[in-house]
Amino acid sequence: MSEAQRKYLKKRKIRIVITHLFRICLLAAFIGGWELIARYNVVDPFIISSPSRIVRIIGTLDRSGELNKHVIASLYETIAGFLIATAAGSVFAIILWWSDLLRDVLEPYIITLNSLPKIALGPIIIVWMGIGKPAIIFMAVLICIIITIISMLSGFCSVDKEKIMLLKSMHANKFKILTKLILPANIPTLISVLKINVGLSWVGSIIGEYLSSREGLGYLIVYGSQIFQLDLVMASTVILCVLAGGMYAAVAILEKIVRKKFGQ
Amino acid sequence: MTLLELKDVCFSYHSKDAETTAVDNVSFTVDEGEFVGIIGPSGCGKTTILNLLAGIYSPASGTILLNGKKVSESTSKIGLMPQRDQLFPWRTIESNVLLGPEVLGKRNRETKKYALLLLRKYGLGDFIKKYPSELSGGMRQRSALIRTLVLKPDILLLDEPFSALDFQTRIVVCDDVHSIIKQEKKTAVIVSHDINECVSLCDKIIVLTKRPAHVLEIIRIDLNKTMSPLKRRESQAFPEYFKKIWKLLEDKNERSTTKISEKT
Ligand SMILES: Nc1ncnc2c1ncn2[C@@H]1O[C@H](COP(=O)(O)OP(=O)(O)OP(=O)(O)O)[C@@H](O)[C@H]1O
Ligand SMILES: [Mg+2]
Repeated sequence: MSEAQRKYLKKRKIRIVITHLFRICLLAAFIGGWELIARYNVVDPFIISSPSRIVRIIGTLDRSGELNKHVIASLYETIAGFLIATAAGSVFAIILWWSDLLRDVLEPYIITLNSLPKIALGPIIIVWMGIGKPAIIFMAVLICIIITIISMLSGFCSVDKEKIMLLKSMHANKFKILTKLILPANIPTLISVLKINVGLSWVGSIIGEYLSSREGLGYLIVYGSQIFQLDLVMASTVILCVLAGGMYAAVAILEKIVRKKFGQ
Repeated sequence: MTLLELKDVCFSYHSKDAETTAVDNVSFTVDEGEFVGIIGPSGCGKTTILNLLAGIYSPASGTILLNGKKVSESTSKIGLMPQRDQLFPWRTIESNVLLGPEVLGKRNRETKKYALLLLRKYGLGDFIKKYPSELSGGMRQRSALIRTLVLKPDILLLDEPFSALDFQTRIVVCDDVHSIIKQEKKTAVIVSHDINECVSLCDKIIVLTKRPAHVLEIIRIDLNKTMSPLKRRESQAFPEYFKKIWKLLEDKNERSTTKISEKT
């Protein structure tokens, strides 16, 4: 290794350390500032809660077993919505790739559905499916699936024409073109769709819970605000942040594994 | 013996705005063991002709006979090497080379053995587990050629096999490819717009006009068939052929007019 390269690597390392340091400081300053403002009543802690109150209420929830119940309910709905939407959306995209007639026929409907705010359909879903998990999962699916279809389909259609020609010259049928070329070429598309869907499926499940539920973090947030328990609202929000961040991290790890496997 | 025969072949692309005639009354023959070059200005229809030969498109009129039979009915096999190597980045070299047998459902111990034999023979033995991104341009080109050879084709169709390479690599790889094809005793049709390359490689050159392509002249190259392309570049008659083809392409470009028959 040359001197210059060593220097570069060292500089890089220092930079990474500094970045992490700043991140931690920022978080600490935020939490510390918040705590101080609340403790010295600069702003009424009844309105803004405080980190120590949040920790306390999370502890109480945990001891009563409530915490588990609500976290598991929300996670279940979100992950179910996430998986169903990604799988069903991808299958739908494959069908549309396969038949260009169907693609042309459905195009305006898909575009309309994409621009429609899916939340508007919430009340209808509740009337149809009743209050409970299925309705919430359906909401999450609805929010994710259209963008999944659109992104996957555009990935499928942008595969190099010459590669398709190559397979055709080997007498490949449409199914072989799909499995040997279109699908593997779109693994990166799938990963980016997964990343988008992590966020969207949380939107779906929390909104679903706002509208109709007896459990889950969305329910806790609404319930807390109705009884003016800002501590509960803030605590649920913090837990939500952690869960969503964790889910995104899981997808990022998956991406790393996939990239390694496919040598890209 | 005539292996391939084109008689008055025409072909047009159809789209919403226009009908693009790409191939206009093209006729020529390819004998067994012959190296035939197709040369013509950019966009004249060379790739289209190869795709017609490969049976990916059917001619609008005229006939293409392979061993006396229509391409679609013939039992003789065709191997297409597309413009740019089109190796799949998510597959290792070995797995790329075995794409053809895999598509045809013939990936077995025998085809694998043959693929490995070819890879070792042509200097890729150490790279079979590597991904295309880890190989040089020349090695990728050789891999792409072996991918077509694994199918044991009766005729090879090469679409500007060297266009992605820099000048020096190009000449070396050209020698490589030539010697591989000669060693495997294959017939080849090679598209190029590099006159020197064509003259140094081929026994016969089809010179095409601007789009729509039709045959301007067929030139036999009477250079020593056993010499490598690099050696042939040094032979005395070489510049004459170059000048002749240059003149043809130049004259024609001044005179010819492009026809696009607009749909009304
Ligand atoms: N799928 C297509 N639809 C419509 N027009 C096409 C299509 N493919 C090619 N063409 C047109 O047909 C003509 C011939 O194309 P072709 O690819 O055969 O040219 P080429 O001689 O191989 O060119 P190049 O030297 O750039 O590779 C071009 O003018 C191109 O615009
Ligand atoms: Mg071309």
